[in-house]
Amino acid sequence: MDEQALLTNYLIVGALLFGIGLVGFFSRRNMIVMFLCAEMMLQGVSVSLVAWGRYHNDWGGQILVIFILTVAACEAAIALAVVLTLFHQSGKLDIAVWQQLREDNQAAFVDRDPSALTPKPEAQWPKLVPAGIEPELDLQEVTHRSHL
Amino acid sequence: MFEIPILMVLIPAFPLAGTIVTAVFGKWLKHEAHWPVVVSIVCSCALSLALLSQVIHEAEANPLAVGWESTFELWNWTSVPEAIARPEFAAPADGAAALPERLPFVVNVTMRSDPLTSIMLAVVTFVASLVAIYAVGYMHGDPGYWRFFTYIGLFVFSMTMLVSVSNFVLLYVFWEAVGLCSYLLVGFWYEKPAAIAAGKKAFLVNRVGDFGFALGLFLIWTTYGTLNYHDADGIAGVLGQTRLAASGGYAAGGVATVICLLLMLGACGKSAQFPLHVWLPDAMEGPTPVSALIHAATMVTAGVYMVTRCTPLFVASADAQQVVAIVGATTCALGGVIALTQTDLKRVLAYSTISQLGYMFLALGCGTLVAITAGMFHLLTHAFFKALLFLAAGSVMHAMGGIIDMRRFSGLRKLMPYTHWTFLFGGLALGGVIPFAGFWSKDAILGAVHQRGHDSALYLALYWVGMITAFLTAIYTFRAFFLTFYGPLRVPHESGHHAHESPRTMTVPLMILAAFAFGAGMWLQGPGDLAGLLGHTPSLAYQAVPRAADHGGSHLLVMTISTIFALSGVGIAAYLYLGDDALATRLARLLAPLYWLSYGKFFFDPIYNALFVWPLLVLAKASDLIDTYLIDGLVNLVGSVPPWVGARLRSLQTGMVQFYALAMVWGVVVLIVTLLIWPAIAAGSK
Repeated sequence: MDEQALLTNYLIVGALLFGIGLVGFFSRRNMIVMFLCAEMMLQGVSVSLVAWGRYHNDWGGQILVIFILTVAACEAAIALAVVLTLFHQSGKLDIAVWQQLREDNQAAFVDRDPSALTPKPEAQWPKLVPAGIEPELDLQEVTHRSHL
Repeated sequence: MFEIPILMVLIPAFPLAGTIVTAVFGKWLKHEAHWPVVVSIVCSCALSLALLSQVIHEAEANPLAVGWESTFELWNWTSVPEAIARPEFAAPADGAAALPERLPFVVNVTMRSDPLTSIMLAVVTFVASLVAIYAVGYMHGDPGYWRFFTYIGLFVFSMTMLVSVSNFVLLYVFWEAVGLCSYLLVGFWYEKPAAIAAGKKAFLVNRVGDFGFALGLFLIWTTYGTLNYHDADGIAGVLGQTRLAASGGYAAGGVATVICLLLMLGACGKSAQFPLHVWLPDAMEGPTPVSALIHAATMVTAGVYMVTRCTPLFVASADAQQVVAIVGATTCALGGVIALTQTDLKRVLAYSTISQLGYMFLALGCGTLVAITAGMFHLLTHAFFKALLFLAAGSVMHAMGGIIDMRRFSGLRKLMPYTHWTFLFGGLALGGVIPFAGFWSKDAILGAVHQRGHDSALYLALYWVGMITAFLTAIYTFRAFFLTFYGPLRVPHESGHHAHESPRTMTVPLMILAAFAFGAGMWLQGPGDLAGLLGHTPSLAYQAVPRAADHGGSHLLVMTISTIFALSGVGIAAYLYLGDDALATRLARLLAPLYWLSYGKFFFDPIYNALFVWPLLVLAKASDLIDTYLIDGLVNLVGSVPPWVGARLRSLQTGMVQFYALAMVWGVVVLIVTLLIWPAIAAGSK
């Protein structure tokens, strides 16, 4: 495999990592997942740095990656600490809970209620069981808890 | 004991030090705040008298050809090399060729002493000492006690500097400084709207005069190439020995006239001469000691001092001298007529001051040595007796609980015996009754004017104006005296139940001044020989100042007429105002138009309001509207752009982390795309 092809392959891997990370960062709202996606972008950049270092016969790229790893480790500690604190405050990992930094007159982003879109089934009124007969238990209610 | 230069420096230094101490520690000194200023002014007075005695000794021991002077340079204030092309009159005779092509502009802080300066210093510090002591009683308990004494100290410093500097620029500086002190002290009771308005009026009217004065200085500079009085750095001063000794040292014709008229305009403002006299009566809103010190005895005589100092310039222009004399006589008569009908005791005295200053200018306008020394003589005696009258009026005001309207009180002679007697002495001096001080000085002026009248119909007319005003003076002075101290005892209710004679600290200065109002004229006319001493002043020793021959006969005639006039004036006042005033009321009705003019002060204030104040107010209002709506509007329009843009961009701040991330990515995308297509654009444009 010649050097050119090697570089290209690595760059493709790096770009894929970066792209997946980016899409993940945009599309997920779980803070931990978002953090992982950011890490993934970082690693994508690191891979391309290593590739370019190899291609140019320059250790600079590799050295920089070592630094990146170190910094990423520190940053991971801080980021997880932040996430933990935020979780303690709201009980949720959803990033959309934290949007107080918007302008005063800006409406907050609210999740659309899916139930509003799908029509509610008609209410099932309980049927009275004739006296003296043990009522039949609802299997669904027994095996599953509704709040899960 | 002290050398002359040390005295020259110490005299202003004492009040300055007193002022600084009072200004810094006044708040803590509270009711003792007068001590630094009073002590320093009294020290300054003692040193002034020491200086005067040394100057008398020196001037008589070393009679130079053109007077005696001593200068002492303290430091160089400013220096601009090659500031002006050498003017024609840079040096007298053919001395100009020795000077360089371009002359420097140098202002040295130089103190001078000569007879004129030392006499002014003695009068200023002496009257100031008495007034300061009087003010300890008068201002007692005022919330602005320390502020008052700070201003008084500052004024005495400025005034002593004004008369002892030796440069026109510094004269101007201290001319303004005394104006500032006057403004501060007129508006001393700043809660009173009338006092604020009066202070502002005094300041603004003085600006008119000072504008002329400044132009006069510019013209002196371009004509003579220097603004020093004395010879310095090889350049002949405007009033220096070199120029005075040589012939042809002074510009003649139009330039001389214009310089003198501009200087006279400045003097008119400061000394309250027609047509700029309107500020002085209003200035009576200030505390009475201030009226006595600044608006009667010292500051208002600065104009007289300045014109006397510039005598050689005025001698060069007969036209300007006539203008000075006419202005003086006009003011003199005007003040006298207005003072006849005023009901406010301090206003009567204020118009009387204007009138007496008119006498001084009338004398200066005659231009002869006799007349000028007579003018200075009147300045001195006037300082004593007018300060006395004001302080006595202040004593009345003090007892009457701030009421000074003569219709509200009468018959105070039993209640306030000291004030009554001292006011009588001041009144006799002002009325020109022999042998009181005012008689001698007024008579010296009238004699000198009469002498000029021998060969000039104008001066003869002015002489009669002066003489009739002397008659009016006696009437209005004794009208005020009789209305205040005679008749049934009436006291305004504002004085409460404790209308009483003023405390010692007020009556003792009154008595000292009364002694001077009685004796100063006789002493200065005779053994004091004021005229002889003043003759040693360089400006007055100048040979071009006309020397009059002996004038015994005519002077005796003048004396007789003026004595008859003065006594008949006193008599008429007694006839009209002692006892029933029905006669005076009938006379007022008989001469209704004249009474109306006099009582309305010849309507200068409404006329000036309509001619100058109103148009200026309209202009100011228009400027204000333009500023508010046009200029501010434009500025606000520009200023409203960033908030508008910001308001549009505000919706970008969603607070959503992912939205920000998206914005970042879009930014990067735009950057990369630009970077990629930019070479293509650049290539295309070539």
